[in-house]
Amino acid sequence: MTRTDPLPPTRRDFLARTSRGLAALPFASLALGADRGALLRHHAPRARAVIFLYMDGGPSCQDLFDHKPRLIAENGKPFGLPKEPTQFRDEGNTLGPCATFQQHGSSGQWISDLLPHLATQADRLCVVRSMRADFSEHTNANYFLHTGHGLQGRPSLGAWVGHGLGCDTTQLPAFVVLNGGLVPPGGIDNFHSGFLPAHVQGSVFQMRGDAVANITPREADPARQRRKQTLVQALDALQVERGDDPALAAARSNHELAFRMQAAVPELVGLAGESPTLQQLYGLEDEYEPTRIFGRQCLLARRLVERGVRFVELTCPNTGHDRWDQHSNLRDGLRDNCRAVDRPIAALLADLAARGLLDETIVLWGGEFGRTPFSQGSSGRDHNPFGFTMWLAGGGFRAGHSHGATDDYGYKAVVDPVTIHDLHATILWQLGIDHERFTFRFGGRDLRLTDVYGTVQKSLLA
Amino acid sequence: MPWVAAALLSAAAGAQIPPAVADDEFTARQRSHWAWHALRDDAPPPGAPNPVDAFVHARLAAAGLSPSPPAPPHVALRRLWFDLVGLPPPPATVQQFLADPSDAAWHREVEALLASPQFGERQARHWLDLVRYAETLGHEFDFAIPNAWRYRDYVIRALNADVPYDQFVREHIAGDLLPTPRRDADGNDESVQATAAWWFAEQTHSPLDAARHEADRVDNQVDVLGKAVLGLTIACARCHDHKFDAIRAVDYFALFGFVKSSRYVQAPLHPLDVHGAPFTAALAAQRAFAAAVRDAADGPGWHRSDDDALDALPPPRAGDVVIASVDHPRSHWFHTNDGFGPAPWSGPFAPDAEAGAPQLFVLPGRFWNSAVAGPQREGTLATPTFRIEHRWLHVRAAGYRSRIKVVVDGFHLVRDPIYGRLHHDVDDSNAHWRTFDLEPWLGRTAFVQCIDQRAHDLADPRRERREYPAKAWLAVQSVVASPHHEPPPAAECLPLPPPGWQQPPDSVREAASALAAAWEALPVSATLPAMADGTGVDAHVHVRGDPHRHGAAAPRRFLQALGGGDELPAAAPGSGRLQLAEALLRRGEPLVARVLVNRAWHHLFGRGLVRSVDNLGALGDAPTHPELLDWLARDAIAHGWSQKHVLRRLVTSATYRQDSRTRADAADADPANLLLHRQNVRRLTAEAVRDALLGISGRLDATLYGLSIELPQATHIEARGQPHQNGPVDGNGRRSIYLAVRRNFLPPMLQAFDLPTPFATVGARNVSNVPAQVLALANDAFVHGECARWAKSLPPGDDDARLLAAYERAFARAPTADERAHCRALLADGGEHAWPDLLHALVVTTEFQYLR
Repeated sequence: MTRTDPLPPTRRDFLARTSRGLAALPFASLALGADRGALLRHHAPRARAVIFLYMDGGPSCQDLFDHKPRLIAENGKPFGLPKEPTQFRDEGNTLGPCATFQQHGSSGQWISDLLPHLATQADRLCVVRSMRADFSEHTNANYFLHTGHGLQGRPSLGAWVGHGLGCDTTQLPAFVVLNGGLVPPGGIDNFHSGFLPAHVQGSVFQMRGDAVANITPREADPARQRRKQTLVQALDALQVERGDDPALAAARSNHELAFRMQAAVPELVGLAGESPTLQQLYGLEDEYEPTRIFGRQCLLARRLVERGVRFVELTCPNTGHDRWDQHSNLRDGLRDNCRAVDRPIAALLADLAARGLLDETIVLWGGEFGRTPFSQGSSGRDHNPFGFTMWLAGGGFRAGHSHGATDDYGYKAVVDPVTIHDLHATILWQLGIDHERFTFRFGGRDLRLTDVYGTVQKSLLA
Repeated sequence: MPWVAAALLSAAAGAQIPPAVADDEFTARQRSHWAWHALRDDAPPPGAPNPVDAFVHARLAAAGLSPSPPAPPHVALRRLWFDLVGLPPPPATVQQFLADPSDAAWHREVEALLASPQFGERQARHWLDLVRYAETLGHEFDFAIPNAWRYRDYVIRALNADVPYDQFVREHIAGDLLPTPRRDADGNDESVQATAAWWFAEQTHSPLDAARHEADRVDNQVDVLGKAVLGLTIACARCHDHKFDAIRAVDYFALFGFVKSSRYVQAPLHPLDVHGAPFTAALAAQRAFAAAVRDAADGPGWHRSDDDALDALPPPRAGDVVIASVDHPRSHWFHTNDGFGPAPWSGPFAPDAEAGAPQLFVLPGRFWNSAVAGPQREGTLATPTFRIEHRWLHVRAAGYRSRIKVVVDGFHLVRDPIYGRLHHDVDDSNAHWRTFDLEPWLGRTAFVQCIDQRAHDLADPRRERREYPAKAWLAVQSVVASPHHEPPPAAECLPLPPPGWQQPPDSVREAASALAAAWEALPVSATLPAMADGTGVDAHVHVRGDPHRHGAAAPRRFLQALGGGDELPAAAPGSGRLQLAEALLRRGEPLVARVLVNRAWHHLFGRGLVRSVDNLGALGDAPTHPELLDWLARDAIAHGWSQKHVLRRLVTSATYRQDSRTRADAADADPANLLLHRQNVRRLTAEAVRDALLGISGRLDATLYGLSIELPQATHIEARGQPHQNGPVDGNGRRSIYLAVRRNFLPPMLQAFDLPTPFATVGARNVSNVPAQVLALANDAFVHGECARWAKSLPPGDDDARLLAAYERAFARAPTADERAHCRALLADGGEHAWPDLLHALVVTTEFQYLR
């Protein structure tokens, strides 16, 4: 199905959301976001929203999820498998994990001690231990993870989802990026709409200063902006009398959306209604600033999903270790990055579940690639797209499930590998979209998020 | 691991060459699709005096429709100004035109705008979209493309000068190779500057696979050429024959060969003529200086430099392969800018000539030496392309602030990690062998590039620097591929300066002064990124797009479907791009002309006669008015490919000048206005929104050209490659086309209004309608600042007079009584901010952002 024109705007109150009511609703009625287009529906959806916890830099899965006794046993010895070329060409010996592992929950998921809070949520996770990507360089790999293509200019997953499904609120855009402070290599094009209509591009909310660019009126006295708005509306109305046009009508309603958004965002980011206990659970009181920032992002993610935003992506706060890109000093980098995200993510999962939102929200965790099981220099790991871990929770993914495996060293995915295109296809599937029929005509071709690849991984689904 | 074996098997099975498009299918595609056909030659239907109107009105009449009446004069005038120069008409023009909105006045206005310098600034931006113009390479660190901004100025100048479009295209493909390049009044080479457009492709920092990187880059380059100039999606044939068009994979790879045979250089705007009088005089002065030094110096070392035995290169060892040396004829090397002079130099030389203390060097034997061309000249010397068969490569060189690099598979961005070992910085006036370890790239193809100004290297990390140190030089003697780690033996360096040399004698000082004067007379030349020819090589088809799996050879030629079957002679030197340009313009003429006029139509009517302006192929849209499209194409050719003529044709038509209001009588017959029963309502482009604000506030600085302007960078984020400089909020009042185009850091306000990310040809921008636009207009500091400035610039007088002035500036008309009433209401209770607030409200209205 190819769509190029959004439906005309429709005013609509928030959808009353209940934990189970969603799939039963006629799906077309969900489309009535601001001017956000009709809902695309190939089959009954299992989920309505996505929260992507994007771990920029490539987290070291051998230290977090991929428990490999052989890696421990052969620590410091020459690496036992042939090595692919790496980016820095400074390969050392086998490097054992810098943390210990335990099994958690009734599912017995292996999670390292670096993530003690997440471990309490083990039974909610669907851990894919056999991810593969196509690129070893950050930027290409970031574009690939986000857009299914290694070069700049394609629409991001969130933009595709926003284009296909629209938004359930008239006050906020379909795709919101909660920026923790770091912009990943490749820049905001990781969140871009590419050739899709611009309104589906990720709207970046900052955690410091104004959450949204230009969201705060500059007039000290609110009455001044109101007076201006009144005049604008009056003058625009006079123009209509001189002959209207669909483009002008759309511009006027966009105008109204903008001012609704201006009114809604302060309430959204205010957090005033959230209980102190909950804020503490998310880590908003933590003594470590990155934990506070990421905790705020996670709490905002829930609030956005609650309000009907379709796709929320979180980028990481700066812990001073150049993201999850531990070419050296692996131990310290992991410790601090885990400290920043562990508590907030655990709280997000528990909170979503408690509110009945987890069933209809896909939570995705992961980076653009993993890291090598052999060392780079003495204390780091290089990039490794051949085998790494991502996990999903909620949204109809199998809870407490482990999928696939890497080899004995956690180097390459060897059992039931899952590609980035497979991941995209599966997420779209849960949202009710068949990735092979979800195309957009650009430059003479019907383009897909999954290019000509991707298989829905049904074994990941409950 | 059974899965791995299975995957390998399936990969092998899938690697067969995809089925080719058979000849009869190919011919059928060619015959059945209109775009491959010659231009039609239909006479304009009778009726309207203007041929454009005649074609349009005939179609309308056939549908039972009439055209709309002319738009009100103020609407038409505002439309014309934004379309031709991208700015609002000034009040004096408005008053004049509203007093006399005659046809003659309209024609006068059209001519004035076509002749104004702002014309090029507006029209150039359309072209920059097509060539994905950018000043950085994107990717992780967003490295600068040195001097890319000069290309933007080239385009503005070319459009203002109305350079014939075929010449403009020729310059883009092969401006570096024209027998008689176009020159400006100062003698600068204009033609070569167009070739910078090849180098706006995104480039990856440290790709693991340089061949794949090259394949991706060339894909982008061919894609842009195909879409921008021909309106064809040639790059779709990268992995297989085109699915729908008469374009085969072998066509794509035939074009690939032209790019693969060409190289990135920084080319001079003002080329040095090594045989011309100024350079001959400079060379003579250098010789006189050397002679003066010899005469003045007693040391025995000096005369040895004239020793023939020293000049002879040592014989190569077993296994050594001399890729290039001073013993090869000059034509064996690739010279850019002739910065290394007409012939190798031996004997004393001075890389700069300060008379008090001239720096003095002598090298052991003959060297290609950039110092003899003076310190201001930059030059590049490169070897032919060769296959890397030995692990070691030795280059004997001396120099200062210069660089030698090995360009493998066309990959110029040689930096750590991975590629750092492919370059040596040269900062030593003694000649040494520089040894490269090429072990990871055995079997790949490469050439050695010697750059006498390393700050201009594409791989230079200093992204902030815009101006470069002048004093750089490089001398190169020999490039040897070798199985031996040890470099070949070579003559010892001579001691410098000569023993006992403290203060140079008067004779040397005088010679140094003369040398400095001779250099002064040489044309100084800035540089910009450009194409240069390398060794001519044909590409092979990449099986399923895999650059490591070669299929059939694809000799360089133009598209088969356009009769480009004759291949270049195998022995043809260089890339053959000039032949490509001529073939494209001759055989592709119908497409080139249709694409040109269709783009003009798109910009003036909001939709092309062919809606898919970048794709006239089978998957593109059919023309709504095929006869008119071809008539315009023929008309453009007949008028010497003048772009101003094309625009003049269109804006003087009644079809362009008609009203845009929707009509109930046309709702059924022409609901999407495909027949043009009215003009389309259009939103201003991102640049026009910003420029209009500067225009109405009086802040607009009409300065043309120059270094790009930085805007303030977003705070609260930390991103790789983010510039450290911050600019003024109003960009010094310069037009938006002069704002820096950093791929990863585009100006947010312009992005909100659909400034495209420069990655591919964008002939038709998105026209979105998003809250970010309203929020920017309502709350951005820049907008507030300009409205405040505008309020101060309003003439003194009563409210009515000021309202009239404001309306004339913003909307090219007087306010109506109703509008006055609403505005007065705000003024009545607005207090001290009343006027800025009122003007701000005008800016936020739809009338400001839209052309009716």
